[in-house]
Amino acid sequence: MNPEDSHLQCPLCGQSHRAPFLEPGQRALCVRCGATLAERGRLGPDAALVFALTGLVLALPSLLLPFVTLTKVGNERTVLLSGGVEGLWMSGFGLLASLVLFCGILAPLGLLTLLVAVLWAETRANPVEWHETLRHWAHGVERWAMPEVQILGVMVAFFKLGTVVNLSVGPGLWCYGAASLFTLLAWRRFSLQPRGQQARATPAPASA
Amino acid sequence: MKALRPPDRSSATHAAALAISAVIMLVPAYSLPVMHLGIAGQVASDTTILSGILQLWRDGLGGLAAIVFTASFLVPLLKLAGLGCLLVAARHRPGSHARLLTRIYGAVNFIGRWSMLDVFLVAFLSGAVRFGKLASVEPRPGILAFGAVVVLTMLATHRFDPRILWTEAPSAGSGPDDARAVQAAVPRPSAFLSPSS
Repeated sequence: MNPEDSHLQCPLCGQSHRAPFLEPGQRALCVRCGATLAERGRLGPDAALVFALTGLVLALPSLLLPFVTLTKVGNERTVLLSGGVEGLWMSGFGLLASLVLFCGILAPLGLLTLLVAVLWAETRANPVEWHETLRHWAHGVERWAMPEVQILGVMVAFFKLGTVVNLSVGPGLWCYGAASLFTLLAWRRFSLQPRGQQARATPAPASA
Repeated sequence: MKALRPPDRSSATHAAALAISAVIMLVPAYSLPVMHLGIAGQVASDTTILSGILQLWRDGLGGLAAIVFTASFLVPLLKLAGLGCLLVAARHRPGSHARLLTRIYGAVNFIGRWSMLDVFLVAFLSGAVRFGKLASVEPRPGILAFGAVVVLTMLATHRFDPRILWTEAPSAGSGPDDARAVQAAVPRPSAFLSPSS
């Protein structure tokens, strides 16, 4: 275990801590500001990798399968996940289309890919050199990955369009919803997973 | 875990500049129309964020109106008010209020992304409702301004380093302390490990 892994620094107040050994279901809190620093889930150390892989597998069909089908007086229109980006782009809102593309598609996909890469690297006895860089990137990308907000936006649109057109949900939307749920689960475990404890079979000796 | 950089005092200045830009962009975001809705047999209309919320309310979708009102109106204002508090406090040595201010920062950081709701809503509608003269939705400049507000407030929150709120506060110990290990769900007494010497 890397000796640096046994230390936790609170990102909110900067307080340094020696990381306690966490039993499943326990979490470590900052002694100064009370922020959660680490959490050991009950599902085992590989749960985050499983969630991230499942999310990634679901993300691919969410891109390719019909997202929503709309019908208006005999005219049928099938929209993919990228339909919103296309609509904004065609209306001359290229900058906003890029933002929606990034926050709704690229960042969630990138986050899942980074999570799988980092978590897979951590399962190896000697993590590869770029492991820390990828971890840093994952934290940067997560801020902009908003699949759950996109889902809520689409739900609101459904109600708004209730009387204007007939709507039917496509498999792409189901896959996207499931992928965003697994992204949230994977991120929660990844960001709070106590590092270095996967390799530690017994609690660290308590100091006197 | 790698040691973090020391608290960045200049982060408050950068965050303030971004937050002020966001406040300026609020004016066109709330006053300009965000989308144009054209339906056969009805008068085509431009919708602002607030008129869209009112329309949902009039259509009997009160719950939905509340969600959109919260995400598109309350959240940006609360975020900017929270950021304002943090920025003022950072200049005046928050001391004993540091813990409360850190919680405010956590809340501002958490709610930030939900303002994107309206941007995703308009994007979806403009991509999906394209039936020519039968029904069509087109984005309008207000949504670009609103997107800018969301991005600027998120950048301001990310740029602000909350550790500067604690630079005047006493540390919990001279060396690294043991983090408190507590049960997440079961209400048991907290387990404290003794601080390292």
